[in-house]
Amino acid sequence: MALSDIIKNMSFDEIIKLCCDQEQEAVNLYTELRNRATDDAAKLKFQELVDMETQHLVNLQTFEIEKYMDLPPANLKVTDYLTEPSKDRNLTTQEALILAAKREDKTAKLYQDLAHFFKDNVELNTFFQMMADEELRHKHDLETEYEDEFLQEG
Amino acid sequence: MTKRTKPTSHNVVPMKARFAIPRQDMPEQNPTKRAGNFLEVNLGLTADQAVIEAQRCIECGNPTCMEGCPVSIKIPDFIQLICNRDFAKAAAKIKEDNSLPAVCGRVCPQETQCEEVCVVGKRFEPVAIGRLERFVADYERLHPEEMSTESVVAESTGKNVAIVGSGPAGLATAADLIKAGHAVTVFEALHEFGGVLVYGIPEFRLPKEILRKEVAALESLGVKFIKNFIVGRTQTVHELLNEEGFDAMFLGLGAGLPRFMNIPGENLNGVYSANEFLTRSNLMRGYEFPDYDTPLYRAEHAITVGGGNTAMDAVRTSKRLGANHATIVYRRSEEEMPARNEEIHHAKDEGVHVMTLINPIEFIGDENGFVKSARCLKMALGEPDDSGRRRPIPIEGSEFEIPADMVVIAVGNGSNPLISQTTPEISTNKWGNVVTDEIGRTSMKGVFAGGDIVTGGATVILAMGAGRAAAEGINEYLKTGEWV
Repeated sequence: MALSDIIKNMSFDEIIKLCCDQEQEAVNLYTELRNRATDDAAKLKFQELVDMETQHLVNLQTFEIEKYMDLPPANLKVTDYLTEPSKDRNLTTQEALILAAKREDKTAKLYQDLAHFFKDNVELNTFFQMMADEELRHKHDLETEYEDEFLQEG
Repeated sequence: MTKRTKPTSHNVVPMKARFAIPRQDMPEQNPTKRAGNFLEVNLGLTADQAVIEAQRCIECGNPTCMEGCPVSIKIPDFIQLICNRDFAKAAAKIKEDNSLPAVCGRVCPQETQCEEVCVVGKRFEPVAIGRLERFVADYERLHPEEMSTESVVAESTGKNVAIVGSGPAGLATAADLIKAGHAVTVFEALHEFGGVLVYGIPEFRLPKEILRKEVAALESLGVKFIKNFIVGRTQTVHELLNEEGFDAMFLGLGAGLPRFMNIPGENLNGVYSANEFLTRSNLMRGYEFPDYDTPLYRAEHAITVGGGNTAMDAVRTSKRLGANHATIVYRRSEEEMPARNEEIHHAKDEGVHVMTLINPIEFIGDENGFVKSARCLKMALGEPDDSGRRRPIPIEGSEFEIPADMVVIAVGNGSNPLISQTTPEISTNKWGNVVTDEIGRTSMKGVFAGGDIVTGGATVILAMGAGRAAAEGINEYLKTGEWV
């Protein structure tokens, strides 16, 4: 069954719970990669990602529409054309940023699809659009960091 | 740094007339001719030109040029000595604060440092401080008989300091510490001294002979140089400190770990990091083929990705190695290129093609695994962000291909992880750079660090400034033993 079909029969609280599960999955992934990383710098980066997703999780658990009203910044698409690193090995800080930005992008697309699917339901449409915007904000921050550090072009 | 008193004026040109003197052009090799050789591009001012240029200085009461110099060279003082044609004393004056003036006079971005804040430059072209620095440094090298033989080395302190890396930070630190009376040993991983100055900067911008003389000058002061010694492999930091009797250590390893783009096709034959390409050409003397038969691809269509000085060095090297089409591919506009304007102009004069607002997204290979083209996207500059900078954004559907039988990636360098991996007590940040306080102290007692290993890729003079600051810190530490 498509995710949209599952969601349309859910209450708003259940949808929030589903999104929280999505964020918890990210927290778990970054925690695992942090624990596995042998590179100290990559370890620090993964810890930052754990903190970022944990904060997002907390925001969802205490959801207030006002927190999500900012428009997302421009999509820089810095990592869109980059090769996605395999999660099965030790990653560098550079690869950690690519992995995380691509993940935020995929999640944003999922929420955008759901927002589109629920275009006639104002509450759900607004909620999913806001969720997509939040993911795009994360992607923007990660790509800005990537560009500033790994594309200095000096 | 040494104290300064206002210099005696030797400028005979009346103040108002100084503004009418045009900035003296740097003589250079003909572009067509130099694109086929590795001889130095800039030829240096003549003595008469140097004096005329020096006479453009208006002797400000508050010399802002010194504030723009990371090692606070007494710029007005050495300029007055040039006005008096006392070139040897001018060289000695610079050396009070800068141990590598012939290097800095060639590769420092003066236009964003001392010359940017030159008061003359507010209405006219700034005094060509870098060209004057180079002139007196070259004069010193060519006229050793005129230089003072008075020893500048203090009485021995009985303390031993290890310097790891012989790049600009390491050499600057070594110079200050040997003058302070410590025994100084410089460990270099490669087979030639100079770090990035020798493996990264081509002969046509910084002749190796100049660097060798600077190293020889330090040797003559008593600095001991050991090459082919990898700290972290040959011996560890712990072994040097605990078993070899060093009382303190300075880490000046630089940022020698090349960064890649992480796009498909980067592993094809013919795709180099700028680091590898320039090292093969410079350090391993690929540029001296056939005397040195270092493997180095000679391309018809050579593209270099990036817009900094390293990218300019790489593309101009590829041109000199025979590429008929040597091209810079840069994702921003020319205005945002980090390379010095002089290097961009030199490259263009030599026939380098500059493509801006273009970014490769894939390198395509032939049936033998050799790169044959680059698939690129056109970019547009977005709205300014919080820092006011306009970031480039890909234009969907704008893909096109350009021929490329060699690609050099020059998007930046990171820190070598060897020291942090073998010495976990030395803290690094999330980019892998060593963390220090303002005087270069790391998290490990007795170990200091400075230059690109701390800041990430920066300029030669900033690395030297960090080295000098650390040398002050080391002096204090060796005197007091305190590490608070």
